[in-house]
Amino acid sequence: MDRTNNSLLCTENLTKDFGKLRAVDNLSLSLEEGEIRGLIGPNGSGKTTLMNLISGIYKPTNGGVYFSGKRIDRLSPESITHQGIMRTFQVARLFGDMTVLENMLIPAFTQGTGKREASHRAKELLDFSLLGRLTHEPARNLSGGQCMLLQIVRGFMRQPLRLYLLDEPFAGVHPTIKDVMIRTVQKMNREEGVTFLVVSHELTVVRRLCTRISVLHGGRLISEGTMKEVANDPRVIDSYLGG
Amino acid sequence: MEKISELKWYSLSLPLCVVVCLLPFWTGPYYLQVFTIAFYYVVLASSWNLIAGYTGQFSLAHHAFAAIGGYTSALLVTLFGLPIWMGILAALLSSTLMGFILGVLCLRMRAIYLAIATWAFAESVRIFLSMTYKITRGDLGLAVPKIFLGTGRAVACYYLFLGLAAVTILVIFLINRSKMGYYIRAIRNDEMVARVMGIHATRWKIFSFSISSGIAGIAGAFYGHYNGLLTPVMVDFNEMAFIIIMVVIGGIRSIAGPVVGAIFIEILTETFREFGEIRMVVFALAVIAIARLYHEGAMGVVRRLALWISSRKQSREGVT
Repeated sequence: MDRTNNSLLCTENLTKDFGKLRAVDNLSLSLEEGEIRGLIGPNGSGKTTLMNLISGIYKPTNGGVYFSGKRIDRLSPESITHQGIMRTFQVARLFGDMTVLENMLIPAFTQGTGKREASHRAKELLDFSLLGRLTHEPARNLSGGQCMLLQIVRGFMRQPLRLYLLDEPFAGVHPTIKDVMIRTVQKMNREEGVTFLVVSHELTVVRRLCTRISVLHGGRLISEGTMKEVANDPRVIDSYLGG
Repeated sequence: MEKISELKWYSLSLPLCVVVCLLPFWTGPYYLQVFTIAFYYVVLASSWNLIAGYTGQFSLAHHAFAAIGGYTSALLVTLFGLPIWMGILAALLSSTLMGFILGVLCLRMRAIYLAIATWAFAESVRIFLSMTYKITRGDLGLAVPKIFLGTGRAVACYYLFLGLAAVTILVIFLINRSKMGYYIRAIRNDEMVARVMGIHATRWKIFSFSISSGIAGIAGAFYGHYNGLLTPVMVDFNEMAFIIIMVVIGGIRSIAGPVVGAIFIEILTETFREFGEIRMVVFALAVIAIARLYHEGAMGVVRRLALWISSRKQSREGVT
């Protein structure tokens, strides 16, 4: 694979084993800069493992991850973040003892942004995502949907944010909050050129948000294309959509 | 209203500060000594709160760093004739360095293993101090040159330790307000997420551990020069237990908690001296009760009380 092509992110024969279980199997995937890519697949297909491999939480058994042509799979999670990659978790993980604003400030602080500048951006983002009234509330007091929303918005505090990995951001979230999430993702993609890789089981949202979709099954990439293309792919119907 | 404003806290603590500053004019040497030792424990408890409370790293070696500082200064002054201030500076450096080394070795460990490793380190220090009796005079104790000789010694030492406690509280307050304060609290909440947010977790844990150890080392050095005698008893697990009790009863993860806890426990310990070891049993029961029922300790009770009074006042004003 030519790593010097226009891809922002590409994985090359990426493999991850947990004992005898192969969670990701020889996966080669690439993302163009500025796209919103959907990643779907049945439970246990390796979507979250792939997220963990890209964000440095897991080290691959084989293969590599390249970001802007640079190999990143040997870097620590914090070093990967400093490359401009952020992620969310399937179950929202916030700093519960800290306020909503303090949660927002941390990613900005780690890249050297001052408190005044960071607070200004945090306020803008919180207001846009309708979390403004909760600015000084401890994060542990937020509802499930608000936690998920804050988790997403927090990632936008890193500037420039080049790639954002969203792991099941819409699961169990109220439609109103889901709508705010979608608008926020679209705004950041449009205005700041953030590239997204969105793992989701919610095909209606994926259809609305993503230009291209990759389908995983058994740790392998079985299909890729527009929603219409993958929905008509017999391998996808067989393994996922058709149950 | 979720928070009591900072201004209100300052206005509440100001009269207390005035009382503490004027105490030597009202009380005799015995109580001055009790308060001097209490301030020593304020320094230890506050600095342990930095690593255990704010950073979430449960170290059981804090008293050992105080001993390392104490013995470093004492030995340099007695064996090499260094001035006391240089001995204290060396104590700061040696305890910070030891904290850094232990941090590098242990701070990647998970909670229980960190506690075991730091406890093992503290025990090693205690045994080492006992064994090297040719230098440290072992259990007989090492005579240490005293600071502030003469009639006004008790008052001078009172203010010295009060100043040391005040500087420690200020340092921890400033750390808490700084970016480092955000980082260490994030690490305590969820280390993996902190890393994903770009925080070099191990680096900040080691930094926090080194600062905390350095502060304990300075306290140990001043204690040695105040007491005039150092023994390996300083590294008994009881000492560590005392520090934990003070922080938990006062209120972990607050600036005021360890201060209140240290002064309260030290005064109780002195007042009920005749009851001997039974005091520790009572304190331990109190710690169990707080750990089981109310994590925020005495300062949590004060905070809730202040909130309750404030909300009642507001609702009354709303009615009228």
